[in-house]
Amino acid sequence: MIPCTSAIPSQDKVISIKNLKFTYEGGVRALLDICLDIKYGDYLAIVGGNGSGKTTLAKTLNGLLRPSSGAVFVKGRPTTERRVSELARVVGYAFQNPDHQLFCSSVEEEVRFGPSNLGYSEEDVRQKAEQAIVGMNLSHLRGKPPLSLRLGERRRVSMASVMAMDPEVLILDEPTTGLDAEEVSELMRRLRRLNEEGKTIILITHDMRLVAEHAKRVVVMAQGRIVLDSDPRGAFTDIEVLRRSSLEPPAVTLLSHRLSKFEIPQDIISPEELVLHLLRSEGESK
Amino acid sequence: MTGFIDLYTEADTFIHRMDPRVKIVAVILLSLVAFLLTNLAYLSILLGLIMLLVYLSRATFSRTMFALKFVLRLMALIIVLWPLFDRSGTPVLASLGPLKITEPAIWRGLTSAVRVGCLATVWYILMFTTSQRDLVRALVKFGLRFDYGLTLAISLRFFPTFLSTIESITDAQRARGMEIEKGNLLKRSRNYVTVLVPAIVSALRTADTLSLALQSRAYGARPDRTYLREIKMRPSDYVALSVIIASLVLPAIARFVFSADI
Repeated sequence: MIPCTSAIPSQDKVISIKNLKFTYEGGVRALLDICLDIKYGDYLAIVGGNGSGKTTLAKTLNGLLRPSSGAVFVKGRPTTERRVSELARVVGYAFQNPDHQLFCSSVEEEVRFGPSNLGYSEEDVRQKAEQAIVGMNLSHLRGKPPLSLRLGERRRVSMASVMAMDPEVLILDEPTTGLDAEEVSELMRRLRRLNEEGKTIILITHDMRLVAEHAKRVVVMAQGRIVLDSDPRGAFTDIEVLRRSSLEPPAVTLLSHRLSKFEIPQDIISPEELVLHLLRSEGESK
Repeated sequence: MTGFIDLYTEADTFIHRMDPRVKIVAVILLSLVAFLLTNLAYLSILLGLIMLLVYLSRATFSRTMFALKFVLRLMALIIVLWPLFDRSGTPVLASLGPLKITEPAIWRGLTSAVRVGCLATVWYILMFTTSQRDLVRALVKFGLRFDYGLTLAISLRFFPTFLSTIESITDAQRARGMEIEKGNLLKRSRNYVTVLVPAIVSALRTADTLSLALQSRAYGARPDRTYLREIKMRPSDYVALSVIIASLVLPAIARFVFSADI
């Protein structure tokens, strides 16, 4: 086993994973020797095919799963030293299926559940819940029973209920499943704003377009290992690695690869970039 | 966790291949044999035979141990407790006030323990070698209404799924700072609400979707349905059935006709 190396100075790391291995009770080896450091304020996307270990990795970050070997440090302390409820203050985790956490009779009550568990004062709970409700655009639904809402709305409630705990790191597991295009871009705008306010965002997803347009850093997983770790541009130019990990780069990147003979650069990751490039080369030819 | 709800282990042994109806009948008849025998030696032979069948059913080691641990604990409990409550007979081996331990009581305790051991172990042969699907099929062949059989099959099928949903819900609530085992009784029961409500809601949603899926595949369209896999008695099944019946009838004749002490 090779010890993990890192270029990030230790005071900048919010999460540090050292030689993490995880094996499920039935013997499934889900994570094999993971090394990963995450900076404060990063916007990280974890991508990979089904069963590549994304969710398992995420669950080790807030202590829901304990390393079989190796260690996960959150703000410098190993997760094994702290209870999940303590870690929840630092690492918020919005589960893939919102229906796995909704149980209250009103949206407001639901959102307040997390912060009240953490022992905030009544005033703080009210304030944090209010912020999350407004932030997730749920003001008009605050009195409604969460389970009666549409899937997209339920997902927003579940995210608000995690954001209300005001964690420094926010893990979102497939947050866009079941949302329509409008809801997706709304959600991504909010996440970006949270990130600009200093929150560390960890996005688990299949949607490479979202990754290309929003993430600062991409970690590609396959069969329990990290196979690629770079900025989105670097990640998407390595089409072979992505294919092997059952992923496909965004359509616009594939298009620019196909158009390579027209001198389109290979590292285009957003439609805006392609348009910009085309306009520029048109200007040059005139 | 799920492995111990469905004890079935896939294998290709003569017990696996047997008609599930024969297996159900065999288990019931062998249980009756255990009741018929009163002699510790014969009961031990029966237990030995049943253990041999468990061995031949090729269940994984961990499952066999899981099953045997349960049976052995039960037997040990009977052996220890029986002489404490049955104080008849002589010689008395030990006594402490009203409490006395007699030699015949120890033998009776052993006999009962072995009998209970037989009764418990024999069901494992059925559970190890018969898939839930085959069990339900056999029950339907015995005359259970098909929709009841299907309901049973679906319940068995979804039980592990339901458990893993509960696990995932518990995780989701823990991630929101809930500590399920913390607080007084009232607080703890409220903690369970946070798991039970989503669990029930998700079970109802699953049931709803499932019933639509069944209907869209024309479930119940005709009263006379056909089956993809019919279970049929083969010659070997008749042989097995005869052997099992003989193993009940012969000791019964010995005991009731010839008054043999077995």
